[in-house]
Amino acid sequence: MHELGITRNIVAIVGDAALGRRVVRITLEIGARAGVQPAAIAFCFDVVARGTAVEGAVLDIVALAGDELLIKEVELEEVS
Amino acid sequence: MCGSCGCNDDSPSAIHRFVRALHMPAPDRITLSLEAKLLAKNDALAAHNRTWFHERGIVALNLVSSPGAGKTTLLVRTIRDLQRTGSIYVIEGDQETSRDAERIRETGAPAVQLNTGTGCHLDAAMIARGLDELRPAARGLVLIENVGNLVCPALFDLGERAKVAILSVTEGDDKPLKYPHMFRAAQLVLLNKIDLLPHVEFDIAAATARARQVNPEITVLCVSARTGEGMAAWYRWIEDCSHPGHSA
Repeated sequence: MHELGITRNIVAIVGDAALGRRVVRITLEIGARAGVQPAAIAFCFDVVARGTAVEGAVLDIVALAGDELLIKEVELEEVS
Repeated sequence: MCGSCGCNDDSPSAIHRFVRALHMPAPDRITLSLEAKLLAKNDALAAHNRTWFHERGIVALNLVSSPGAGKTTLLVRTIRDLQRTGSIYVIEGDQETSRDAERIRETGAPAVQLNTGTGCHLDAAMIARGLDELRPAARGLVLIENVGNLVCPALFDLGERAKVAILSVTEGDDKPLKYPHMFRAAQLVLLNKIDLLPHVEFDIAAATARARQVNPEITVLCVSARTGEGMAAWYRWIEDCSHPGHSA
């Protein structure tokens, strides 16, 4: 279950980038040869995100063919 | 009067608040392009380890297999056969206990045990901590026994020269197809326990073909860590790793 650690990474990286803004959507790219189960990431995400800036964000996982494993982009709500 | 729903602003009801929320302009949303590699932190630490090994002329090998493939027995045999030719150090990874490190220390080789607890693999930060404790001498050989697991250790670069997968003949000869990530990540497969071949249905040719199917570059060697058969070829492979110009 290395997906749990990877999901913690996602939440930490996005939380740092958000600078206090609410995170609406996170887009991940996961390749078929990355050795990571998208379903397991999605499963861990809700639990890991709880109580963080990322809680409630939509997780979009784009399936690719190679060994990609990255956070492509995040959508944030600007503080007015 | 409320411009959103027409109700009296003086007595805002729950419905009023709800409707007004619907009519409020959506907060500005911005999209940040992150392009953040999820294993970037581990990869950076692994690169640091790799430089550290390179500067000291140390060869580090990452031994991976399912539990029970004979990694520790292979290490003990390797150390006993090679320790006169140079210094060998071992980093042992297991979820619990220091039993493997104790087996290694009986050979006289320095060993540190890393316990990953619930973790399913070693990572580059653990190796850096292990090296702090182990302090291998220049031009030594560092053998890293990863947690018994054919899945997760494939993903985590430790800074090693090569991953060596050990597959024993008491397992299925279709393992390379079932766990392709690991066999793709490895440069060498040791088919271990070949002394048991008369007693098991394991097809060496099929296992070799399947390993090459997922990784055409992979080297396959047949060994028995118990009897010593085939071990000389493994030792030559380690020796070749130490030569400059060996592809990493």
